[in-house]
Amino acid sequence: MRKIETTLTTLLRDIGAFYEAKKWHFLSVNGIDLGEGKIELQWIFSQYGVKDEVVIYYALSDYETPVPSIVTLIPSAFMGEREIVDMFGLSVDGAESGLYLDKDSLAHPLRGES
Amino acid sequence: MKKTIQIPLGSQHISLLEPIRFKFECENEKIIGVDADVGFVHRGVELACTRSFEFKQVGYVVARVCGLCAITHSLSYTLAVEKLLGYVANDRIKYLRMLMVELDRIHSHMLCLAHTAENAGFEALFMQIMGDRELIMDVQEAISGNRVQFDYISIGGVNRDLTPELVAMIHKNLGVLTSKIDALIGLFDNNWSLSLKYKGVGVLRLEDAYTYNALGPLARAAGLATDVRAETSDFPYEDIGYKMILESSGDIHARNFLRLREIVNSITMCQNIVNNLPVGEIQEKAKGKPNGEAVVRVEAPRGELFYLVRGSGQNMLDRVRIKTPTFSAIPAMIEVFKGAEYADAPAILASFDPCMSCTAK
Repeated sequence: MRKIETTLTTLLRDIGAFYEAKKWHFLSVNGIDLGEGKIELQWIFSQYGVKDEVVIYYALSDYETPVPSIVTLIPSAFMGEREIVDMFGLSVDGAESGLYLDKDSLAHPLRGES
Repeated sequence: MKKTIQIPLGSQHISLLEPIRFKFECENEKIIGVDADVGFVHRGVELACTRSFEFKQVGYVVARVCGLCAITHSLSYTLAVEKLLGYVANDRIKYLRMLMVELDRIHSHMLCLAHTAENAGFEALFMQIMGDRELIMDVQEAISGNRVQFDYISIGGVNRDLTPELVAMIHKNLGVLTSKIDALIGLFDNNWSLSLKYKGVGVLRLEDAYTYNALGPLARAAGLATDVRAETSDFPYEDIGYKMILESSGDIHARNFLRLREIVNSITMCQNIVNNLPVGEIQEKAKGKPNGEAVVRVEAPRGELFYLVRGSGQNMLDRVRIKTPTFSAIPAMIEVFKGAEYADAPAILASFDPCMSCTAK
């Protein structure tokens, strides 16, 4: 597993330069609550036909900063983006709430203070 | 502008085994737009894994994510924790774990094929496949003690060994099943209801499989050569006769036929495991507390199951991330529905073999 740091500002540029649809399989968007209002966001990839090659782009952020969507680069990412909207209460460009929870849910189960 | 109508399928529908709702926008009988709602059985498992249970208990919690592929959930979690503990299982443990995973694949694929037969109006074949599936369910129960939600895998090993009686039972049941699968291959290839009717229906093109990150049988039926068993080194699959099965047409028939061929390969692997089971302990010490971050990928019956576990040397973990195969397959499913006839939607959906219990977790 390789971890590569990025920022929310440079995310689209970094993943755009990295991702090739026929080389990389997009696995998931993930969030990890770090406490004190901070979160680590992850975009996870594996390589087709190569053993044990998993690459994680990660960015450290807070809960207030909007997260850019990577759907323009990876159309299948909308599911993961909707999931982190529900579970962490983040704002992701174009991603609706209501995948797992009620659309107007005030609870965000994986967010630290909830 | 043409007039369109919206037709829902689910969340409760006679063709669905589990709750999922698709909202189809149709132009006459043709589906031109799809919206999917997958969250009907969300249970907060990821939260429970870090708030309510210690890391030694979590393997038994994640086995409850899904009744069908419980073994791959507990295996994925256990492997991730073992990586954080710096423990590598001996070959006997690896073989026994592979045995259960492949048995799981066989009965899961058979459930999907039975469901497909039912959707085709072939009720007798549905009953027959479900009956034949009991051969594997009986073996799994005899090995693990449970028919579903097997608590077989634990950190540092497995909970039961094979006895000579169990080995004889495995050989006998796999032998009987082999002839049954041969007959099913003939049926699925030649019977009009199962073959011609489904050729060219519900097609996932190879380009779309890449674009929408399809996985598992859905991807391999479209010709995308991806299988976690060939892309990780956690298990010696090459030693037990694993072969990647591929089809190319990407339609319902290809997905069904691919599952049949994978069953044949899984039977061979199970026989090879039992015939060449290494000597060793089935339970070893894996000491310490998880510290760091580990990722694990395991090929579940529906495709890649992914776990990310992060711990900080405590009994409670910081994060357990579960990414299930059906969750990842939803975008490709939506793409396949577009352009299809509404009447084919139940059969197309069955051919995806969706698992909503996993998806909503």
